[in-house]
Amino acid sequence: MKSSWRRASTEAKLLLVGIPVLIWTLLPIYHLVLFAISPKESAFAGQLWPDHPTLHNFAVVFREQHYYLSHFWLQLWNSLVIAVSVGVLTLVVATAAAFAISRLRVRGGRTVMNLALFTYFIPAAFLAVPMYKTMGNYGLLNNQWSLILAMVTIAAPYSIWVLKQASDKLPYELDEAARIDGASPPQLFRLVYLPLMTPSLVAIGTYALLLAWNEYLYAFLLLSNDTQITLSVALGNFLAADDSPWELLMTVGLIYALPPAAIYYAFKRYMVGGLTAGAVKS
Amino acid sequence: MASVTFHNVEKTFGGTKVIHGIGFDIHDGEFMVLVGPSGCGKSTLLRMLAGLEEISGGTIAIDGRVVNNMESKDRDIAMVFQSYALYPHMTVADNMGFSLRLRRAPQATIQERVAKAARILNLEPYLQRFPRELSGGQRQRVAMGRAIVRDPKVFLFDEPLSNLDAKLRVAMRGEIKALHQRLKTTTVYVTHDQVEAMTMADRIAVMHDGRVEQIGTPLDLYDRPGNLFVAQFIGSPAMNVIEGTVRRGNGALHLEAEGGIRWPLGDGGGADGQRVAYGIRPEHVMLASPDTLGAVAGEIIVVEPTGAETELLVQAGSVQIVLRTHGRPVVNAGDKVGLSVDPSMVHVFEKQTGARLAA
Repeated sequence: MKSSWRRASTEAKLLLVGIPVLIWTLLPIYHLVLFAISPKESAFAGQLWPDHPTLHNFAVVFREQHYYLSHFWLQLWNSLVIAVSVGVLTLVVATAAAFAISRLRVRGGRTVMNLALFTYFIPAAFLAVPMYKTMGNYGLLNNQWSLILAMVTIAAPYSIWVLKQASDKLPYELDEAARIDGASPPQLFRLVYLPLMTPSLVAIGTYALLLAWNEYLYAFLLLSNDTQITLSVALGNFLAADDSPWELLMTVGLIYALPPAAIYYAFKRYMVGGLTAGAVKS
Repeated sequence: MASVTFHNVEKTFGGTKVIHGIGFDIHDGEFMVLVGPSGCGKSTLLRMLAGLEEISGGTIAIDGRVVNNMESKDRDIAMVFQSYALYPHMTVADNMGFSLRLRRAPQATIQERVAKAARILNLEPYLQRFPRELSGGQRQRVAMGRAIVRDPKVFLFDEPLSNLDAKLRVAMRGEIKALHQRLKTTTVYVTHDQVEAMTMADRIAVMHDGRVEQIGTPLDLYDRPGNLFVAQFIGSPAMNVIEGTVRRGNGALHLEAEGGIRWPLGDGGGADGQRVAYGIRPEHVMLASPDTLGAVAGEIIVVEPTGAETELLVQAGSVQIVLRTHGRPVVNAGDKVGLSVDPSMVHVFEKQTGARLAA
């Protein structure tokens, strides 16, 4: 009797914390949804639920029927291309680095990794202007490669670090067994290392992809042409007008949030396993 | 099949020398066991032979060809690791066929060789399983299968049975020995377990502190240990060692231990007045009645029956003596007994260096 009472009280305390946190988290999303399904006139009516919920806003967005939306599909595509490119490139760079540092034990590898991590001491926002200058020097401004390369630069150190920690947990005897079996380093990488690192690779790929998908500042600085920018920058442009079309902004925002959510849920189990696998050094 | 030659081999780890100029031969088809306490350098020596550690000095040759600067994969060796080191993402068949796949052997050849190895090791029902779905013993057999499939010149085993429970270890011991008798491939086997060494080896190299203390057949080492370290390392329970001084009395030599206790000594076991370590194996100490002439008086501390044999721990003066006897003597802890020793079975070692003295 007493124990069930105690259990109920523990549960009540958890709910007491959980419910406010849940509301706190969901409230902005609720507003996002509310705006997206409200007609323009009643968007600011302050109702908990619109009198006449509508999907009209989605139709406007999908048909690009507004000045700010004239390149919606292209910009969504830009976001996707850039995000996927960043994910793939980061994986290539980070996996190769982690393999070299952790498995081939290249001399000076640890120093390189620490130097890369050192870049995180400077907030990315402070690096935006130097990065702009650098890309200018390379003649890459207003080219999507500039954003891709910038995002890879930002994502790579953390990715290398996580993958290096995950690599360290693979038994070294596997490499030795493979070497005796006749594997060259590239074969070891392809046939033994990559398959065993899959969970961490999925996690890191997703991390870099989402980082690029959600990036605003660098995208805003490095790209300016309407046909080059990502959707996140296009969303920012909505606010340039005096009477911003809030209901459309929120609709696009909702649409923009869906792919990351889908990716997160698709790879969730890898994400958790992969990230904690790199967290503890054993 | 091949011979292996170590010539003045040295290994230094960051200024610390761990292998001090080791040299010996392993004959074609021989089962050689490297045994010694942990840290003696046996695994390092094996890894140098495998090409997993650099050789700091001297040469290692396989089949007369110096392999110092040769990659592991070119040495034509196969190794079985203590941790099995199976590729977790590959099936048993893929694990076993991996080396052939890397050498781009035809699929038919791979299948045939894997099937043959699986038959030898009773792994046929498990070929499509993954390592995580196997027991420890089965994993160990897969690791051996991976080695067999390659048909190498030399098999290397690095403490392959240490991760198995006691019963399985004895069973696998037999399997490895049977496998060697069947394949007759030169084998180098590292273990810290002297029982494994004794039961499996054609010859044993006893190592200690980066040096080879003695090389010989198991019974050679047991019957004529070259020094005190080997004497105490080989044999279970270990040899009894009593320190004392050689004395000549009534024409015969004896050892005078602490408290004036006299242990009989054969001829030639040191000179009068020399400080020595006196060794006698547990099965060479016999129970006698306390008043027997020449017997050492003692008191039984522990009686350990094991069925076929009985081990007794006896306090004789300041030392404790283990004795092993067939059958089941009717004695109890606290009984006063006499201990008699066959002088021809006594081993005498110099006190300072531990070197074997005379006969």
